[in-house]
Order: sequence, then structure tokens, then C-alpha cells
Amino acid sequence: MRRCAPLALLLAVLVVVAFPFYWMLLSSFTPREVLFKPPYKLFRLDLSLANYRELLFATEFLTYLRNSLIAAAGAIVLNVIAATLAGYGLTRFAFPGKKGFAFGTLFSYMFPPILMVIPLYILFSALQMRNSYLGLILAHMAISLPLNIWLMWQYFQIVPVSLEEAAWTSGAGRLAALRQVCLPSARPGILSVAIFSFALSWNDFTFAFILQTDRKMFTLPVGLATFVEQTGVHWGMVMAAAVLVSVPTFLLVFFLQRYLLSGLRTAG
Amino acid sequence: MSATSERRAWILGTTAPALVFLLVIAYLPIGYAVALSFFKKTAFNPAMTWVGLDNYRYIFNEPELWHAFGRSVVFTAGSVGLQLVIGLGSALLLNRAFAGSTVVRSLFVLPYLVPSIVVALVFQWLLSQEYGVINQLLMQTGAVSHPVNFFGGLGTAMWAVIGMAGWQYGSFATLLILARLQSINPKLYEAAAVSGAGPWRAFLDVTLPALRTTLIVIALLRGIWMFNKFDSIWLVTHGGPLKATETLPLYAYRLAFEEFDFGLAAAACAVMFVVLLAGAFLYFKLFDPTREIEVGR
Repeated sequence: MRRCAPLALLLAVLVVVAFPFYWMLLSSFTPREVLFKPPYKLFRLDLSLANYRELLFATEFLTYLRNSLIAAAGAIVLNVIAATLAGYGLTRFAFPGKKGFAFGTLFSYMFPPILMVIPLYILFSALQMRNSYLGLILAHMAISLPLNIWLMWQYFQIVPVSLEEAAWTSGAGRLAALRQVCLPSARPGILSVAIFSFALSWNDFTFAFILQTDRKMFTLPVGLATFVEQTGVHWGMVMAAAVLVSVPTFLLVFFLQRYLLSGLRTAG
Repeated sequence: MSATSERRAWILGTTAPALVFLLVIAYLPIGYAVALSFFKKTAFNPAMTWVGLDNYRYIFNEPELWHAFGRSVVFTAGSVGLQLVIGLGSALLLNRAFAGSTVVRSLFVLPYLVPSIVVALVFQWLLSQEYGVINQLLMQTGAVSHPVNFFGGLGTAMWAVIGMAGWQYGSFATLLILARLQSINPKLYEAAAVSGAGPWRAFLDVTLPALRTTLIVIALLRGIWMFNKFDSIWLVTHGGPLKATETLPLYAYRLAFEEFDFGLAAAACAVMFVVLLAGAFLYFKLFDPTREIEVGR
């Protein structure tokens, strides 16, 4: 009895955590005609792909997807460049002001999107950068770059300098040593920067919602939010959209289980 | 090129991009928002007029600001409290080896990692008054006699939003607490058992003291983030019904984009910024996270 209680509790918590995902999946495969007819069965086998078909061919889903992917790709490239360079410079050279830099980086990590987006809206309006990819990419960098700098700063600390020094003595310049020795050993750090940049850009609602007012420039979260604004919400299709937007997260967790659980720190 | 100037070029070349980005896209907007709070600026008029403290005077005299502030406090305290309870509870349950524990642990990470829009849509569907499966279950078990309008009811909206945020962000706490639990030296528990302590005593004397710092960090960081949360709340209620869930961020949004007064919105943002400053000050003062990197080299 004493041994069973935690197990039963664990099962209960597991149901609470998993049920929303289960219901999302099940609803997404349930045809419209049956979805709205209570009583709902918790298990059913009469599944169909109709909701997905409708989502892909009768809505702007693919436009939103393209916009989300472009914004994420831009955020990944700029973040990887800026954070990797900074991590290298901050660990390989002695210069004053590092403590201040560390503080400034961590402090900006706490800035919430809503505080940055109203001024950005005004600035981007003046610069004609609203409804542009560049504007959105820069806004997404504002939330991911601080932690990325931090990650690379910490990561380069454990990439031993001795490797580079060996390359220098064999005649390679600093740039060659950086490219051939340092960057390859920093690859796992760079990968986590890329993943983190992707995740924050992909998940962002606040920036895209306020900066991208042109329907053609909506990202997935903003586009999906409009699906439930109308009356007579097509919930089966909305759940299909939710499933597709979650796919990167599912893949990430599936492939990076060990890594994620060993120490994950992200904002939100 | 001499050695020193080459060194200088390297330092500048590697750190300048990150520094410029941080200054231009993070610090400049925050500074601009604070500056804007001293000006009259509307969406329709490009001109800015200096008005000193007028914006502050105006919003401080509005009961709406104080109501929004109060709701932010309720939402923050409620959702962070819930996250700590969920996090501590599930971390304790997960902190044991069992068949499939890796899979189960990964499952627990999902709510935190899926986009907020997904959580918002799924909860709206689960809790829908007309078609929601939760209402059906509640009716079948006889817990309620009429379907509950969770996100649309005056008395329920705030609690529904808090519950959703607890579900979504609880796993952040679970992860951090689980990591800390696994680093506790098992000898401490052996020692507690030897001196006759039961499980409850061992929890109070060994587990809780070890978790103290982690719990405070979570409460502080999550507190700062929940106080400034916009997307989750906006997506499910738009601040309604009748402003029942209009926290400070949604209030600032309404001033800027529904009443088109950027000056007033900036003043509301400045109020949030002061709260953020206080939280950040505590965090840096208590934990000095900059220790994690070496600056001496």
C-alpha cells in the first residue's frame, strides 16, 4: 500500500500532463460531423485526415508556415554568428568590462516581449520595417540573443585553449586555428544556440502579433489565433494546426531527451 | 599590423556584433519606452510633445491601472504558487528510477516546450462551454449541474488562466527541482535514517533545505516572467470578460493599440519595468549569476 500510493499519484499526474496532448491529437483526426456530437468518446477509431486536408488546402496555413520558417532561419543565422563570435572573444582575450557585459547580457535576458514591442512598433513604423522579415528577425533576436551569448560564453570556457595553441605553433594563424580547431570542438554549443533560437522564434506570438499586421506576413502562431476569432470555430481543423505546430517540439524532445533533461534553461 | 592592434581588432571584431545587437534591439527599445512615457504621442500624430509627468499623473489617477496591477499580482502569485506545487510534487514523484522513466520525464517537458499558441488553443477546446470534454466529464460525474464557461465567466476566467499557466510552466520548475534532487548526496538520507528519521522528517531536514535556493530562484524568475506575461492571457481571454483578466501587460497593450495613446502605454510599461528592476535586483543580489563565467582571463 505504501509503495503503491506514489505510483498511483504519478499516474494521476501523468494523465493531467498527457491528456491535453492526447485530446488534441484525437480531435485533429476526428471528422467534423462527429466532433461536435456529444457525448464524446475518450477512445475512437473512426479517424480521418479530413481536417488536415482542409487546413493545408483551404486556409493560409502554408503561407504562415513559410513566414515562420523564414523568421526562424534568419534568427538562427544571426544568433549563431553573433553568439559564437562573442563567446570566442570573451573567453580568449583579457579586457576590462567583462563583468559589466555579463551583467548586461543576463539583465536583458529578463526583458519581456511586451515591454520591447511597443517601442519597436513605433521605431519600425518610422523605418518602414513593420511587416518585414528583417524587422521580425531582429525582434526575435532580442529575446534569444542574451541567453545565446551566455551559452557560448560558458561553452568556450570548456573548449581548451591548448588545442588552438598547438595549431598556432604549427604555423596556423589565429583565424585558421579558430576555424579548424576551435569551431569544430564548439559544435555542440553552436547546435544548442541554433535550437534555442529556432524554438523562441517559432513560439513567439507577441512580437509577430503586434509587428506583422499584414495577413500575408503572419507567422503560424498569429495565423492560428485568427482561426478561433470567428464564430463557429472548426475545432478539428484548429487541433490539426496545433498538432503540426507542435511537431518541431515533439521531434526536439524525442531526439534530445538526454540532453534536455540534463539541464535546460530557457526563457518564457 | 602590430600584435596589440591585431589583438584589439580581434576583441572588437568578435564582441562588437553581439554588443551592438543587444544595445540596439534590447536596450534601445526599453530606453525609448521610458523616454516616451514623458511625451504625448498618439498613433495618428507623428509629433511628440513633452508633457513631463502628465502620463504618470493620468494613469496613477485611473482606477484601471490599480485594478490591472492587482490582477497581475493575483495572476503572478497564483500561477507561480501553482507551478511550485506542481514542480515540487512531480519532481519528487519522478525522482526515482522506474521502467520508462526517461520517456515519462520527457513527457513532462512537453507543456513547457510547445508554443503558447498550442497550449492556448488546446485549453480553449478542452474547456469550451458548449463542446468541451472537461465540461462533459464534470456533468457526467455530477460535479456541476450546468456547463461551466471557464474562460468567459467573470468568476472563473482568472482561475482558468492561472490553471492553464500552472500546467504550461510547471514543468520548468519540475526540471530545475529534479536536477537539484538528483544532486543531493544519498549519504544524507542514510544518515537521517540512521538517526531514526521517517520519510517526512527526512524530507523536512534533508530535501527541503537542499531545494531552498532552487525554489527561490524559480519563484523569482518565474515571478518576473509571469508578471509580464502577455501572450497566454491574451490568447484565451483578450483580457475579458469585462477586464477580469486584464493584467498590466494587457492594459499597456490596450492603451497603445486600442486607445492609440503610446505615451500612456509607455508609462504603464515603465511601471512594469520598475517591478522588473526590483525582481532583477533581488536576483542578482542574492545569487550573482555572473559567477557562472570567468571574467578574470
